[in-house]
Amino acid sequence: MRKLVLNGASALAMLSILASPVAAQSANEIVWGDLLPAALDNHVALDQPSQMVMLNVYDGLFRYIGNPPDLQPWLVEDYTGSEDGLTWEFTLKPDVKFHDGSVMTAEDVVYSFHRVLGLNKGAAGTFTPILKPENITAVDDLTVRFVLDSAYAPFLAALPLVSIVNKDLVQEHEKDGDWGAEWLASHSAGSGAYTIDPDTYRPQENLTFIRFEDHFFGWDDNPDPIEVVRAQPIQETTTRVMALMSGDIHATDSYLPTDQVRRVSSTEGVHLAQDESMRVMFLRMNNSKPPFDNINFRKCVSHAMNYEGFITGILEDYAVRNPGPIPRNLWGSPDDLVGYTYDIDLAQEYCDKAREEGAPVDREIEIYTQAQLEQTNQVAQVLQAELRKVGVTMKVIPANFFNLVAMMGTAESSPDMWVHWVSTYFVDPENWIGQTYDSAFQGSWRGSSWYTNPQLDEMLRSARVELDQDKRREVYEEASRIVVDEAVDVWVYNTVQLRGLSDQIEGYKFSPIGSGADFRYLSLKN
Amino acid sequence: MIGFLLRRLVMVVPALFGLLVVMFLLVRIVPADPAAVLAGDNATVAQIEQIRQTLGLDRPLYEQFWLYLTQVLQGDFGTSLYSSRPIGADIALRLGATIELTLVSLVFATAVGMVLGVLAAVRRNSLIDYVLRFISVGGLALASFWIAIMLQLLLSMHLGWLPLRGRLPASLPAPPHFTGLYLVDSLLVGRLDIFVASLSHIVLPAFTLSLAGLAAIVRFTRSSVVETMQNDFVAYERAVGYPQRRIIMPYVLRSSLITPITQVGLMFGSLISGAVAIEAIFDWPGLGFYLVQAILSSDYKAILAVTLVIGVIYAFVNIVVDVIHGLVDPRISQKG
Repeated sequence: MRKLVLNGASALAMLSILASPVAAQSANEIVWGDLLPAALDNHVALDQPSQMVMLNVYDGLFRYIGNPPDLQPWLVEDYTGSEDGLTWEFTLKPDVKFHDGSVMTAEDVVYSFHRVLGLNKGAAGTFTPILKPENITAVDDLTVRFVLDSAYAPFLAALPLVSIVNKDLVQEHEKDGDWGAEWLASHSAGSGAYTIDPDTYRPQENLTFIRFEDHFFGWDDNPDPIEVVRAQPIQETTTRVMALMSGDIHATDSYLPTDQVRRVSSTEGVHLAQDESMRVMFLRMNNSKPPFDNINFRKCVSHAMNYEGFITGILEDYAVRNPGPIPRNLWGSPDDLVGYTYDIDLAQEYCDKAREEGAPVDREIEIYTQAQLEQTNQVAQVLQAELRKVGVTMKVIPANFFNLVAMMGTAESSPDMWVHWVSTYFVDPENWIGQTYDSAFQGSWRGSSWYTNPQLDEMLRSARVELDQDKRREVYEEASRIVVDEAVDVWVYNTVQLRGLSDQIEGYKFSPIGSGADFRYLSLKN
Repeated sequence: MIGFLLRRLVMVVPALFGLLVVMFLLVRIVPADPAAVLAGDNATVAQIEQIRQTLGLDRPLYEQFWLYLTQVLQGDFGTSLYSSRPIGADIALRLGATIELTLVSLVFATAVGMVLGVLAAVRRNSLIDYVLRFISVGGLALASFWIAIMLQLLLSMHLGWLPLRGRLPASLPAPPHFTGLYLVDSLLVGRLDIFVASLSHIVLPAFTLSLAGLAAIVRFTRSSVVETMQNDFVAYERAVGYPQRRIIMPYVLRSSLITPITQVGLMFGSLISGAVAIEAIFDWPGLGFYLVQAILSSDYKAILAVTLVIGVIYAFVNIVVDVIHGLVDPRISQKG
């Protein structure tokens, strides 16, 4: 028996010698262990991982760079906006080359926006209320004109959401008026710093990026860029971190849980990139359902949440308390906003008051979590334990995001409470407070508080069309104070993104948009 | 034998149809909203409604089912709601990985399980029997994901003998697609390096996946052999003075194999479901992960397609098991 074990062991050792990954990887090649988007075509499906493709394979008219994110003209050399904010003209940089060598013209930009609006998915929701396809035109080869239906202050901020695609190439593959969607789902038609190798694309398994030497931005800022990036999402966090530690991959995702953070921090050869992002955790309350229609009850819940206990105890301070809906590191969030503090006596007082006012405080409250996102369960359990102290019973129901979204159609079917984050799609308070608390968004998951306040609606809508940022700032600060005073929801923290990186990686540059997955800045230490 | 096979094949059709109906209902009853998923994070209510209409999700359920059925009968699983890619192509990419993993596990569990089972039966109540019993009960009881992580820590991270994850190292290309099984395809094109690499990658996941089945086969083989050995004919053969080996090999084994072989057929189902967890841990690019993704994004056409494919494989494996039954015990195929 012992001999057998020994033989087995030596056989394994033999196998490992034979199979040891010969250094066939070229010197300038890395494996990026972050999630892949659901679809390569971000005009069709726009999720957070889409940024990896948007930033590397495509270019947009504008781009966010750095942290805090700075909106910079990217494909655009020059632009003008009319005083009423309706007419915008953009002049493209000349000689921007697509990966197939053809030169980008205004027609490509027009087509790209038409495509987004025509498909009516992904980023379309941001533009459809203010932009009609016929009002996007090419003035000349390099000039594009947009005429908006109404002024929209975040218009420039939202432009990075639209990747410019190669019109001729996509049109070649159009089928039954599908805007080439089936083809572009597995191919690319961009001009970005990296092109993809469609033959190696295996959804959720591998996507290979190859450097595009002719990228319009040039490579002067990075003399030794990475030539090949293999993006390989590893499904299990434990496996992903082990792969980083063993040198199998050079980067993990940027949402490492705290227990894995400890492992990464204590391992040689790898380190942790830690960056405050713009992603706020919301505990939503359905303000239309008793007892949540009672402000004292909402304040009771707001004071019962043990913010510090959760952030320090469970998240080990890898998060920053965010007292309102707008990330505290973005303009529009008042510096002096205090928000709610954990105070169980005060919570008790408010709950008693609500009970006196006839609110059905004693009915069982339901909070829905997103089962596969562990933090949503944890935060719900913290709140559950605290609420028990003030005599409120709460039931935690794990669900999945898409089932939850299906519930948000009406106030009756929307849950009492649920947990989610609002991530950065475009950097403007509109992304957090505007689309969340303007009652026009009720019926989508963003409007799931069912809080209606005509004064607030008025303010948020005026901020949407006001072009003076200082005036907008005032409005958003005031709006933040209103929703906090009214205790519309419980806002918990702003995210600190945590990515495990190999010490060999240099030039990592974080931005809340893309979470640092912009490969053009990276190089390998020898 | 051919009549027996035909009867079995005909019976598969209503079974698969039933599976499809049940799955379609289940998938569509769940209150998920594919339209909301598709519309994205910044969608307006009107946008979601428009997508719902384009997808035909507002039509009656029977109409949707009929549409789907006619599509599937033409061999078209449709396109993924989410990625716009043809579902058939995505499944084809991943099917080979899952089949390779389950087949290797199945063969390993069956071969090793039967040998160990016979050993335990012949050396009944010896130390070996006790040890095997302990291990096989443990194999059933321990959570496979725990064992998987322990094996990763020991053999990949600590000793560095076996790869941690995946099917091939990033430096090696996938072999040309013939069967979809890298172990076979690499040999067909004479790439020994790819063969060895894929073998070293499959060892850990296949071994972990096989544990539960292995344990079951050891137990069943042991009890079956023990039972057979108590038959009169064995006592007679012993009395005549046949050596132990000659009694066991042809006579006892043949009579004892029916139960474990049935077990193998059943085991295939649990292997496929177990593969979902094992594939996740070892980052094995099979159908399991695809299915999980499809469920989480309520991509109902993808869910149905994967279920159907697994259903067909399961039916096929069970027909093969029936045929083997028939070969081992001709009475079965005659009765039908």
